[in-house]
Amino acid sequence: MWRTFKYIISLLAFLTCIMIQAKAQDTIQIPLKIRAGLEVSGPVSYYSDKNILNEEAYVSIDLDEKKSVLFDFGYLNFKYSQYNYSYLNKGTFIRAGIDFNLLKPEKSMGKYWAGIGLRYGLSRFTSETPSFDKENYWGTTSSSIPQKSYWSHFIEVSPGVRTEIFNHLSIGWSVSLRMLLYSGTGKDLKSIYLPGFGDGTKTISTGLSYFIVWNIPYKKINVIQKKEVKEETDEDEDTNTNGTNGTNGTNNTNSTSGNNQQGKVIRR
Amino acid sequence: MRKNISGILLIVLSGFILLQISCAPGSCFDETESYVKASFYNYESEKLTIPDSLSLYGLNHDSIIYDKNTKVQPALIPLDASVDNCSLVIKINGVSDTIEFQYSSYPHLISKECGYTYYHHLDSIPFFSKNGIKKIDIINRTITNLNVENIQIYY
Repeated sequence: MWRTFKYIISLLAFLTCIMIQAKAQDTIQIPLKIRAGLEVSGPVSYYSDKNILNEEAYVSIDLDEKKSVLFDFGYLNFKYSQYNYSYLNKGTFIRAGIDFNLLKPEKSMGKYWAGIGLRYGLSRFTSETPSFDKENYWGTTSSSIPQKSYWSHFIEVSPGVRTEIFNHLSIGWSVSLRMLLYSGTGKDLKSIYLPGFGDGTKTISTGLSYFIVWNIPYKKINVIQKKEVKEETDEDEDTNTNGTNGTNGTNNTNSTSGNNQQGKVIRR
Repeated sequence: MRKNISGILLIVLSGFILLQISCAPGSCFDETESYVKASFYNYESEKLTIPDSLSLYGLNHDSIIYDKNTKVQPALIPLDASVDNCSLVIKINGVSDTIEFQYSSYPHLISKECGYTYYHHLDSIPFFSKNGIKKIDIINRTITNLNVENIQIYY
């Protein structure tokens, strides 16, 4: 009976120690935010090239200090013409995925983001070739391909950066690497430009987006700072040991035990 | 504060450099014509045999595709996409024959830079006069801009 009681007391004491130790660790407050972002390079480049209008916006919600879930949506109006054909594509797209912040919480502080996003995208569009000419030995053949609606879907990896420039306002950019899973158009009449994806004639496409983001903090969480424990190298220990050996043999034990106590450098 | 500004500047500049790289214009480097690729074989030995002389032109057409050309292997025969059959006169080593192709055509996008071409599907073995040509075999019915043998002409 007494043994069982001793065992329970020891266990409680041990658990209390652990809890006290956890509380004693440094914590930082990180604000979790809801973000609304607007892609700016699309409307800006429309002023120089009226043939492509790409409008895009997103909403993201922080799940914790590292992850946020994101919904991206947009509209594309694409026109292209050259000496032998003209082409039109109009449609909308959505993307959904998760952003991972690779910065440590004490570095990001809810203001800075450098990480990678993984997304799935779906686009709905109508494509049309009002005219095309083909010239060969037999002469010139003129034709057209009527308007038709399609679905396509793709996946995307987008590393990028974002920083808060003013209170609640951030800017950032991301590079996108996309892989087309299904074009919807078949292999002969591939879409020249797919909403949300880019060059529809290729399986892989790349893109670059600039965002202006409005941040709305909705919650604060305490994040325990992970301490990096760096043990002293053997060389250092040797130097210390040699140093104490050279001074006084009686102090040797004390200084060594002192090193053991102070031998761990805690970095934040 | 100064550290923050330099960080923001770095982000904006690095993005601008990426934008410049991503805006490189493209050109058309692909084959844009879909030819019937016809290889020539000796009828007796059934071995690939290059004709000493080859002439080819469309029936009732003035312009010539090949004019007594040597070392033609394979011959590249264009089809008329505006109709579903076309006839050509082929002269192998001075012996003339007429070949008639029956096919269907459909548009195919090569790339943004190159635009569209027509692919064809051979409906049947081409009709031919049997002056010099003994046999024609179809290897691949789909006529594309790719370098794939479509028919074998035995003479």
